[in-house]
Amino acid sequence: MPIRRDPSAPQMGPMWNWRITAISALVLFAVAVLGVSLGPIHLNFWKVIKTLFGFPHGLQGQERVLLLDLRLPRVLLAALVGAALSTSGAVYQTVFRNPLADPYLLGAASGAGLGATLAITSSGGNVYGLLPIFSFVGGVLAVLTTFFISGKFFAEPNSLLLSGIAVGSFGTAIQTYLQQRHSSALRPVYSWILGELTIANWQVVRWSSLYIVSAILILITVSKQLDGLLLSDEESFSLGINPNKLRIIAVAAATLATATAVAASGLIGFVGIVVPHLVRGITHRVTNRSLATMAFAGAAFLVLADLGARTLLSPAELPIGVITAFVGAPFFLFVLRKKRVGS
Amino acid sequence: MISIKDLTVRIGEKVILDHIDLNIPKNSWTCLVGPNGAGKTTLLKALLGVTPYSGSLRDDNAEVYRNQKRNVAFVPQQPQIPAGMTVSEYVMMGRSKRDGWGNESVRSRSLVQNILEQTQLFGLHNQYITRLSGGEMQRALIARALAQEPKLILLDEPTSALDLHHQISTLNNIELLKDVGVTIISTMHDITLAAMYAERIVVMHEGKILLDGLAQSVIHSPELKMAFDNRINVYTLDSGRPVIVAAKDYLN
Repeated sequence: MPIRRDPSAPQMGPMWNWRITAISALVLFAVAVLGVSLGPIHLNFWKVIKTLFGFPHGLQGQERVLLLDLRLPRVLLAALVGAALSTSGAVYQTVFRNPLADPYLLGAASGAGLGATLAITSSGGNVYGLLPIFSFVGGVLAVLTTFFISGKFFAEPNSLLLSGIAVGSFGTAIQTYLQQRHSSALRPVYSWILGELTIANWQVVRWSSLYIVSAILILITVSKQLDGLLLSDEESFSLGINPNKLRIIAVAAATLATATAVAASGLIGFVGIVVPHLVRGITHRVTNRSLATMAFAGAAFLVLADLGARTLLSPAELPIGVITAFVGAPFFLFVLRKKRVGS
Repeated sequence: MISIKDLTVRIGEKVILDHIDLNIPKNSWTCLVGPNGAGKTTLLKALLGVTPYSGSLRDDNAEVYRNQKRNVAFVPQQPQIPAGMTVSEYVMMGRSKRDGWGNESVRSRSLVQNILEQTQLFGLHNQYITRLSGGEMQRALIARALAQEPKLILLDEPTSALDLHHQISTLNNIELLKDVGVTIISTMHDITLAAMYAERIVVMHEGKILLDGLAQSVIHSPELKMAFDNRINVYTLDSGRPVIVAAKDYLN
């Protein structure tokens, strides 16, 4: 086919804009500095930055301990969890071709909830030793069960979605039964369900960053191809994609990130829906090429939400899930309404 | 040359394609016709390489199942329409296999621009794909297939959602592919249109091939009527062009 070159041809523009990614990374940095500085005791911004980068004349004594051992791991954990939830949400929305899909869709939430309830009811005292492990295993097992009962691997996104709902209800039923039998577990389970970052310490940051960063890197690697999953399987096959393989990789990585996030922080809702839609709204792209931007934006969103949770009713602390839901629920309705109008 | 030998496709217990033998020459337009459930779409999907089969289905002497080394464009009857993607991004996806996903070569950009002009989509290139009318969407699908620069294009009912004017303009766009050496295989319910564009017509019925030959001879054959249980009438216009319509009196 002859190619006519026309210098005045309108540029179609790159589909991924590095500037927006760079800006979102800067926003994350600013929000993180804000997050470690503000609290019941305010720390000086410049001294915080000096301390973080190892320059002289930084914070000393108790303030230094407060920054490095309490606030920094907490802000880092919030950022990791936010990045995990927003990227997994974006990926799930693509895989299931459903703008309202969230990272907990395939039963991860109720599986993790059941795991956490088991940990709390069976451990007596040392709740926080077992809880992350139990909820991680519970979340992963629930997603595997969803795959198993949906029959063929990814025969059809819709059948997987329905299996996810069934597994989710089943897990929640057992969880409710256990709570009934152990009423003393109600309060810790409830506060875990609302999400909390109070267990943050360097050890938690270390293991969760290992899983979450690897999962996000995998997702960013395959993200260019993910757009192909928005087409029918026959179309994406003809464009050089193996849709089943790609879906399995994407869902496995997204589930690893989600289960880790849930294990580290409980069930923090709406991040996986709000942030991807916000980023898509700003970049005007449905595509997943902005996945890195979504990771930074999700991280910044949750750091900010956690800041609100710590400071709004200071010295008391609000569950972070309350904050994200307070912003997220109206947004959810907005997306629903816009989708209805759009269609 | 595509050569099909003893091709059988089963879905569960049901036999969808039943021991089919067929040769399809290169650089031709072959149209599969037959009533609903004859197996036309299944044959297209088998030709694409996504449907498991027994027997042999070879394109340039290579089995096609799961073979992604070939360059085959597929235009589905009911596409998944991604929300939030513009027409030019959608058409640009046709270049993904050549450029690598997420990359756009300079050549691809100018090629896509030419294709958008050729398919009368240029003014719409920044429009969201979800906002397109049925006719425009069909053109966008064809444009994406053209962008693939395929050797073989498979079209499932490319005109079913279109008005008469757009049926012709879409088929004209597809016909251009023959000039650049592309083999075209389509299904079509409108046999009159099929006879206007395709050189060869394959008549299918209940998973079998009843007849395969040049369009003009197939149109007037008893096998064509048989495939539709004699529910069609074939007329010839003064110009010599055949017209096939459903037999109204049959129902009475």
